[in-house]
Amino acid sequence: MTSEPVTAYPARDQYARPLLVALLTGCGFALVLGLYAKLHHPTKYALDVAGFSSPLYAKAWLTTIAVVFAVVQLITGARITRQAAAPAWMATVHRWSGRIAILLTVPVIIHCIYALGFGTYSARVIAHSVLGCVFYGAFVAKMLSLVRRDAMPKWVLPVLGGVVFVSLIGLWATSALWLFATKGVHS
Amino acid sequence: MTRLGPLITLGSVLVLAVVFLLANTQAGKPTAVASATTAPATTGPTATSAPLHALYAGRSSGDQVTVAIAVNGHKVAADLNAGQASEVSLQGSVNGSEFTLTSQSGPGLTGSISGQDMFGTITGFLGQSFPFSAAQAVVQAVYTGRSSGNQVTLAVDTDGDKAAAYICNGKTIEAWLQGSVNGNQVSLTGDKGASLTGSLSGLDMFGTVTASAGLSFPFSAELSPRPAGVYQARIAVNGLATRIGWAVLPDGTQLGVAVAGTTKYPAPLLDLSNNSFTLDGASFTAAPVAGKDTVVSP
Repeated sequence: MTSEPVTAYPARDQYARPLLVALLTGCGFALVLGLYAKLHHPTKYALDVAGFSSPLYAKAWLTTIAVVFAVVQLITGARITRQAAAPAWMATVHRWSGRIAILLTVPVIIHCIYALGFGTYSARVIAHSVLGCVFYGAFVAKMLSLVRRDAMPKWVLPVLGGVVFVSLIGLWATSALWLFATKGVHS
Repeated sequence: MTRLGPLITLGSVLVLAVVFLLANTQAGKPTAVASATTAPATTGPTATSAPLHALYAGRSSGDQVTVAIAVNGHKVAADLNAGQASEVSLQGSVNGSEFTLTSQSGPGLTGSISGQDMFGTITGFLGQSFPFSAAQAVVQAVYTGRSSGNQVTLAVDTDGDKAAAYICNGKTIEAWLQGSVNGNQVSLTGDKGASLTGSLSGLDMFGTVTASAGLSFPFSAELSPRPAGVYQARIAVNGLATRIGWAVLPDGTQLGVAVAGTTKYPAPLLDLSNNSFTLDGASFTAAPVAGKDTVVSP
């Protein structure tokens, strides 16, 4: 007769797996994005968005509108996190402003990585390229952690949301703000 | 508990991204890799007259002699080589598709041009006669010039039967052109109605160039040595996708225009010693454009 081996397993961290999956997928996505942007041979041109003087201004305005929605995100996100009894409409506003904001950035990032690529020729451009990868990586991680929201530590959503917000502001500051400041504010 | 909302959001972002990426790859086929050009397969009706500019290279049927023949207008020059310092230069003329060359030391050459090929006989070389055949070689040549009123400067690069050209006035007018050389006829087209039609005559090219619909000029250009040529740079200037073209004349005179979106401005000075230029404080490199390169998106 053999006795069952008795091993004292440490208590499993209930949060570990879903959180790891979300964060690693986010990191992987950021990496893939950066690698594609770096390795894909920049075409230097891409589809124009109608109504703007140049693709650059179209991108700058799309990003600016996304930033406005992101500020809404920050305000509603903070309310939802801090107050358990935030009005129900606030969650709806948070979701939809986020969806609109992220969709607005999609044509921008496609132009960035398809036509320009991962640039390293100045500090501003390096910061912008890195922030672009961080932004989408954090966005993917946040979406995936929302899927299992009840299995997440409380700090995860505010932190990921904060990273998404800060990186978008950084993206905007290193591109749209720079453009408006150097070439003027027009369409 | 699993929520689908975030996944749907994520999915729609991905779908939109893929749609935009595909739309871009379809819309802006960029400077495609110049496909390896297969040998011109002109076996149809034979040319009735010799091309005005062509180089033929070949061998005698027994492989004893190599032949290089340059046709230049009505003049023909040839070089025979059987190794061992037995090299002879010949001069002659073309009459229709027939040509006859002679040399001071005795050897002669007669032949005829048939499409891309040349057939003939070498006589009196090393005390023998050699039948030979030669094929038209792909030759890169640059023609540069100006419109008759000096409104635009142009540079045309021909590469065998392919041609690429750039015309501009250094400020606001510019066009890229792509086309072919057929015999002595040159025909190129570009975006927005741009075109160039010309004919090669001796060392010159004459014709009409259209920068954009309604903006046509007669021009003349001549065969030009380097650094003359078409130069191009596709760069991102502070995030702004910019395409710059230069038409460079043999004396180093250059005119170029930079295009970023709908904005056009004079191109920076191209340093012809290493093809570099500086724009907004950053250093870039331009590339000479060959006739076989794709400069107009198909």
